[in-house]
Amino acid sequence: MSDANKRDAKAFAVVNHSVPRADGVAKVTGSATYASDITLERMAWAKLLRSPFAHAKILAIDVSEAKRQPGVIEVLTGNDLGSLRPYYGHAVKDHPLLAIGKVRFVGEPVAAVIGADQLSAQEALDKIKVEYEELVPVLDVESALAPGGVLVHGMDYIGGAFRGFDDFPGGTKNICQAVHVEWGDVDAAFASAAHIAEGEYYFPMVYAYAMEPYVAVADYDSKGQLTVYSSAQHPFMVRHDLAEIFDLPLNSVRVIVPYVGGGYGSKSYTKIEPLTAACSWKVSRPVKLQLSVEEAFLTTRSDDARVYIRTAVDDSGKLIAKQATIHLDTGAYAENSPMVCRKAANRIVGPYRFPHVRVDCLAIYTNTVPASSYRGLGAAQITFPVESQMDELAHKIGCDPQEFRLRNLAHSGESIHPGLRPIDADVPGDIRLAAETLRSNGPLALKHGRSVCCSCSDAGAHPVTLAMVHVYADGSVSVMSGSTEIGQGSHTVLAQIAAEEMGVPLGKVRLVGSDTGVTLFERSTGASRTTTLMGRAVMEACREAITQCKSMAAELLGVPAGEFTEERGGIRHGKDWLSWPEIIERYFQMEGCGIIGRAYLRRAGALKAVPVFWEIGVVGVEIALDEETGKISLDTLVTVGDVGLAIHPAMTESQDLGAATMGLGIGLFEELIYEGQQLMNGTLLEYRVPRFSDLARRVELKLVENHDGVGPYGAKGGGEGCVNPIGACLANALYQAAGVRIRRLPLTPERVWKALQEQKSQAPASQRKPPAAPKTDVTKTTA
Amino acid sequence: MTTLSRFEIDQPGSVAEASQMLGHYGDQAAIYAGGTELLLAMRHRALSYKHLIDLKVIPGLNAIKARDGVIEIGAACTHRTIESSSLVREMQPVFAELESQVANIRVRATGTLGGNLCFAEPHSDPATMLLVLGATVWIESARGTREIPIEKLIAGAYANHLAPGEILTRIVVPCGKSNHRAAYMKFQIHERPTLGLGLWLETLDGGRTFTAARVAVGCVSPFPHRAPVAEALLTGSRAEVEKHLPETAALIADGADLVDDHEGSAEYKRHLVDVFLRRTFLKAVGLRISS
Amino acid sequence: MKIGFELNGKAASLEIEPRETLAEVLRARCRLTGVKLSCEAQVCGSCTVLVDGLPVSACTYLAYEIRDKRVTTIEGLADPPGRLHPLQQAFLDHFAFQCGFCTPGMILAAKSLLDENVHVSDEEIIAYMSGNLCRCTGYLGILKAIRQASAEMKATWKENRRRLE
Repeated sequence: MSDANKRDAKAFAVVNHSVPRADGVAKVTGSATYASDITLERMAWAKLLRSPFAHAKILAIDVSEAKRQPGVIEVLTGNDLGSLRPYYGHAVKDHPLLAIGKVRFVGEPVAAVIGADQLSAQEALDKIKVEYEELVPVLDVESALAPGGVLVHGMDYIGGAFRGFDDFPGGTKNICQAVHVEWGDVDAAFASAAHIAEGEYYFPMVYAYAMEPYVAVADYDSKGQLTVYSSAQHPFMVRHDLAEIFDLPLNSVRVIVPYVGGGYGSKSYTKIEPLTAACSWKVSRPVKLQLSVEEAFLTTRSDDARVYIRTAVDDSGKLIAKQATIHLDTGAYAENSPMVCRKAANRIVGPYRFPHVRVDCLAIYTNTVPASSYRGLGAAQITFPVESQMDELAHKIGCDPQEFRLRNLAHSGESIHPGLRPIDADVPGDIRLAAETLRSNGPLALKHGRSVCCSCSDAGAHPVTLAMVHVYADGSVSVMSGSTEIGQGSHTVLAQIAAEEMGVPLGKVRLVGSDTGVTLFERSTGASRTTTLMGRAVMEACREAITQCKSMAAELLGVPAGEFTEERGGIRHGKDWLSWPEIIERYFQMEGCGIIGRAYLRRAGALKAVPVFWEIGVVGVEIALDEETGKISLDTLVTVGDVGLAIHPAMTESQDLGAATMGLGIGLFEELIYEGQQLMNGTLLEYRVPRFSDLARRVELKLVENHDGVGPYGAKGGGEGCVNPIGACLANALYQAAGVRIRRLPLTPERVWKALQEQKSQAPASQRKPPAAPKTDVTKTTA
Repeated sequence: MTTLSRFEIDQPGSVAEASQMLGHYGDQAAIYAGGTELLLAMRHRALSYKHLIDLKVIPGLNAIKARDGVIEIGAACTHRTIESSSLVREMQPVFAELESQVANIRVRATGTLGGNLCFAEPHSDPATMLLVLGATVWIESARGTREIPIEKLIAGAYANHLAPGEILTRIVVPCGKSNHRAAYMKFQIHERPTLGLGLWLETLDGGRTFTAARVAVGCVSPFPHRAPVAEALLTGSRAEVEKHLPETAALIADGADLVDDHEGSAEYKRHLVDVFLRRTFLKAVGLRISS
Repeated sequence: MKIGFELNGKAASLEIEPRETLAEVLRARCRLTGVKLSCEAQVCGSCTVLVDGLPVSACTYLAYEIRDKRVTTIEGLADPPGRLHPLQQAFLDHFAFQCGFCTPGMILAAKSLLDENVHVSDEEIIAYMSGNLCRCTGYLGILKAIRQASAEMKATWKENRRRLE
């Protein structure tokens, strides 16, 4: 990292300040456009008929009566896909854009009615007659793995855009991906260990609930060009899939993503775009497909995780070995679960030093809603077991859990994974900060508990990020970025970096976003990569523009470049000062001119080591337990964002709080409940997400800025870290408050109450507490 | 987005006319006031009507009046109107408080008490409390008017005892008296409550003994009902009543037809009845609950 | 049927079908896309619109109901256009949004709360606003924004009262 990155915070004009958000006024005045707000001329509407069965053959579909309904233009089924290549998937191409011959989960789209208006399309759905032959469904990982059992796929697929995921036995087993990570000699280490903790833990299937449900507007026009507006986080990945499906060159597929109403990973990769595009292709008109939230529940969920894990220490309390088996129920299609599988296996080590590790992770197909990316990407699933067991082991050896962690955490610069980038954060410092902040609450009240937990994720995904900046002769700048604005503040942060580099006020910088026909390739917006990678690309694109300006200046002044000095915003030559815009105008002798600066980032140089950075999550909680009902309330929440440098401090803190709140949801209420093949709670009436009333009494959001990242000015990414440890924080704090250990989430009141009952029934009679005195705090007598 | 199917809205000039419309359209029509439950069910195609008969255009159905020791609440009064009514707050504050905690502010701004009672959503609050307050309802039709106690209105989950053509027009709630103690508490995790418990007590000696009692539990069963067997144990000296609370709770739970569902197992609900009977009792008699 | 109403301070009239919800009519006919559709079950509040000052879930509220009533959407809040309402400014100042999808509904619900009682406590804010979900922020920024707007509106209210006296 160059010295230019290690600047004193005071030296920043725009970066490291909580400036007004670029999308702020639009969002508070209702003028911000989302894909759900897009309408096109002659646009038709699509509505979907979904499978009532988890596993069935489609014997016949009769759409004749539906097609005759008033307002219906066409009905599309898996039989009508003609010349298209209907299977997509960036890891494994196992996902048909519409069911073909078979359905694999309740809710899988079977037919699409395209109507002139929404009501006509909707009312025709009932008229479609589908003949199914039910097959035995595979509804849990045990039956999925049973030898000789029913196969969800039963055929082999080819790999997608990601390399290295197509070697899987999907044709003969229900295994979508198998990952094995190993170093050292785990068996010997456990054999010689002084103490071992082991257990099985469960992280539930959850639903990200982005408030804007999936939506796409597709226009396959008469010139054979396909334009799709979408709520996708990764327009370039979607473009790739569409180009393959429709056999179109990249220059004829354009994916445009306006503001996105929430992503959290659930809008990563391709979702309903191929189906919407196929509808448009079929009827030669633009078509809009806008899912309801209930349909969104049936589109993407998180992987759940059954984790068997054991951890060993030597007699000095030093960690020596970890062994784990992780089973992810990945649903009917691979989606991004192969990556989740890989990351879960990597991230189970946490930010600790382990000389001996063996992890096996399987992503397993079942006939349920497909699982894909979810915030944390595997880390949320495995941090709960890891950090719960750290506390369990600490208690076993009589060590304070925080001390135990501090004794074993890797320090900045140390390796935690052979072959990967050394850890680039001071996690012990982060833990101490969180713990100190919690401690200032004072002595712990009765039935309260505290815990500080951490996670460490190989983040940033694959670094291929290209960016462009327009520098205009009037001093304005446009940043052309393929990163989407999903609420995380990418438009603001990137504009800040450009303003800082070009030496212009923030108000002179505009962000032109996420249009594959206009902005250069950015692999994805996720894995907390945007500040680090796109930020770096924007910074380098600005510097490249500046390099061009400097050689223009040299030519204009007739002196070698070494004779003038670069300052922020321009060059100084003796008494003369020339700003970049002035140089451009003089060079071309033309008003209204402009140049572009560009940057291409790939896995080389400073970005050669993977991961791009380690995303740290540190969360501290204090809870209060209502023992009678089992209800846990959050009294205090502390988050630590170890981000190298916060380009926008307030937005960074807000991301941490948002992530922790999402994790709180899983910790206390969120789980998708299946009974047989039916998802029972796929509506907001039954699926509980955190609300205002769950806000902790005390919230402390901390930032740690050690300039230790490869992003601009030493920045690293954030926004996912705090979702990972909070589940374990709650379980550990519960243990402290009431002495019960629960190894599954969410910690619903009933689950907690049952655990407390069990604990009571196990205590010998002589040790049971006397009946509690009436819980009254008499403050007044009756009237 | 899911659109509603086509229907007409009819605007009766009077209750009698509305009743006639119901008779005329039969099962093609439904009474419509706030629509908070009705329209949701129609969106999901669980219910389907070609005619919605708008009760809100009939004058007088959204009035709140006091007379002879009762409050008369028009069936088309919204929860918001009731929670903010100075009359209700003064004369039956426990009911005003309950109304202020129904669902969320938007549902309260449009949903009506009459609609809530007739729709009979099992996880709903008002009916439970109205049972213990001894409320009655006026039912009107072309055949005339009758007044029945709340327990005779609700028939089961999403079912009421209204005969074809009958319309609920008024809810009559007895005013609170100085020798009454009443409270309602609920336990809620999801959007709708898991348990609601309403308690009403009469005391002639400032709370040392209780001479009459009514208790009802809601949300844990298909519909809320009182527990007469348990009510007997809620009379007597304060010490006796408190001592018997666990037994009383057990009797309430026994009579409540508890089922295992996503709001909780029957076993957990039974336990919640015990917890909330005690907490509601303490709240009713004016003691602060700490746990 | 033809309905007349007031929309963001201006008289309006529309031909509607009984089955059309207020959200559909505002979004598709009036091109006011600040009303967002999410849960469609009156839970999330992203479709909150004010009718005669009271918040309603426009997704489950028939357009028929706005006859002769005052309808306020997020687009009508800045008055005059360009001059942000104290709540809008406060949401900006406290970064009380991220993806922005819940924001119009959140601001309108808060406006309804403060219009009714500008002297709200934190408990009252939290109780009233618990009917509006946000999946991004964790709510703290929104609470701070409402506090700031309340303080500013209180000051204006006091100033207006002083002027009248």
